[in-house]
Amino acid sequence: MAVTELNELIKGGLDRAVELMAIAAHNSYRFGKTNNTKIISIGHEEMQQIGEFCYSLADMSPLAARDGRAMKELIAMDGRMLIIGEKRKSDLNWNCGACGYRTCAELNKIDEVEALTGRGPSCQFKNLNVMIAANAAAAAAWRLGLYCRVYSTYGMSALAMNVIEDVDITISVAVAAGKSDPFFDRHQYWTQEFWDEIFKKEFPTYDRGFIGAIEE
Amino acid sequence: MERSLKQYEGDRKEAALIAAKLILASAVTSPRLGGVGEIAVQLYHDDADIEDICIKMEEMSSDNPAWEFFKRDAAMLRDADALLIMSSLRSLTDPADINCNYCGYVTCEYMREVEKLPKEPGIAFTGPLCFLRADNMGFALDGGISLARNLGIDYGVFWSAGAAAMKMRILPKDTGIAIGLALSVTEKSPFRDIPLRYDEINERTMMDRVIRRLYPQFRSIYS
Repeated sequence: MAVTELNELIKGGLDRAVELMAIAAHNSYRFGKTNNTKIISIGHEEMQQIGEFCYSLADMSPLAARDGRAMKELIAMDGRMLIIGEKRKSDLNWNCGACGYRTCAELNKIDEVEALTGRGPSCQFKNLNVMIAANAAAAAAWRLGLYCRVYSTYGMSALAMNVIEDVDITISVAVAAGKSDPFFDRHQYWTQEFWDEIFKKEFPTYDRGFIGAIEE
Repeated sequence: MERSLKQYEGDRKEAALIAAKLILASAVTSPRLGGVGEIAVQLYHDDADIEDICIKMEEMSSDNPAWEFFKRDAAMLRDADALLIMSSLRSLTDPADINCNYCGYVTCEYMREVEKLPKEPGIAFTGPLCFLRADNMGFALDGGISLARNLGIDYGVFWSAGAAAMKMRILPKDTGIAIGLALSVTEKSPFRDIPLRYDEINERTMMDRVIRRLYPQFRSIYS
């Protein structure tokens, strides 16, 4: 029998799609003559770790919490993820000044500053190389008709959890196939009370009048 | 020139302009960190406008020893049919408050207090910039590039053109970083496979040295 069920087709299709996205990302434009952008695909186990890590940052970042919650649904839909990263130092010697140092040599001499999100200071054009690769992967996914979203939160979490190594700046591209888009219009997570609570916390001045009075 | 060839030249230019507008649209609709727009895209398709930028690039090539290649970039850009310049609007003045540390200052509050590089001839972008904001430029650039590839349009990326446009003050104020995406509709891409010393020896200089320099003598002697 040569009948393949839809679930199997989607599973295989997603595997191929992620490979094609990685190729598109790898072959995308790069500033400079070298292409050192690292691209990896991760499985559901790593995705779950990343999702839990994101959710654990809820007190610091409602954005990370939102993405942490969304990861659960992405895994349930058999979604896939690429993590893309690059080293922070510059080998370009363009001395453009965007990093805040007059020369690339000065930037490269500065001690690395570690943080959960990324390691700086970094070269602007290395940053752009990462984002160009991410966009190329997303553009490939778009043409393949997949649901897709670019996440900085998952990329940063992957770096913090050493899911991707030997890089300093990261981003992620997630894709999924299914009956509905898991990446946008995720209102099922927002009860009215929860929404009000977060909104008041994040935008405390929204209901204030000119003299600071709170409008009910 | 034959009438049909003149018509072809006009149509070719028009095709480049239509493609440039579509590529602009693709750059605009590419992803953005935070999901909202912070990138402006300017379209230049008038040869005189592009020439102004090329001249500025050539001037800037002597402002910094590392920018010698600006002259070669200018020689290539002169062959472009259209130029899109993408500028990052908030990266200079308004950090994203994500505390990403890509700039190396751990939090955006610290980064706000850091003194920017001065506006000097040898400095293209007065960093430190908010990289999370400026990173949107990567998405916009590849949004344009990916459609250019699909349309079969030749492209070249020139940060030198963006830096020159910033110095010329033809971009939105408070632009942190700008990068040019040059487009060409010709049989041979003017942006790749470039000979050595291209800033000195290219189609224009060859025409000038070999044909136009000698033509007056020919015109005088043989008339």
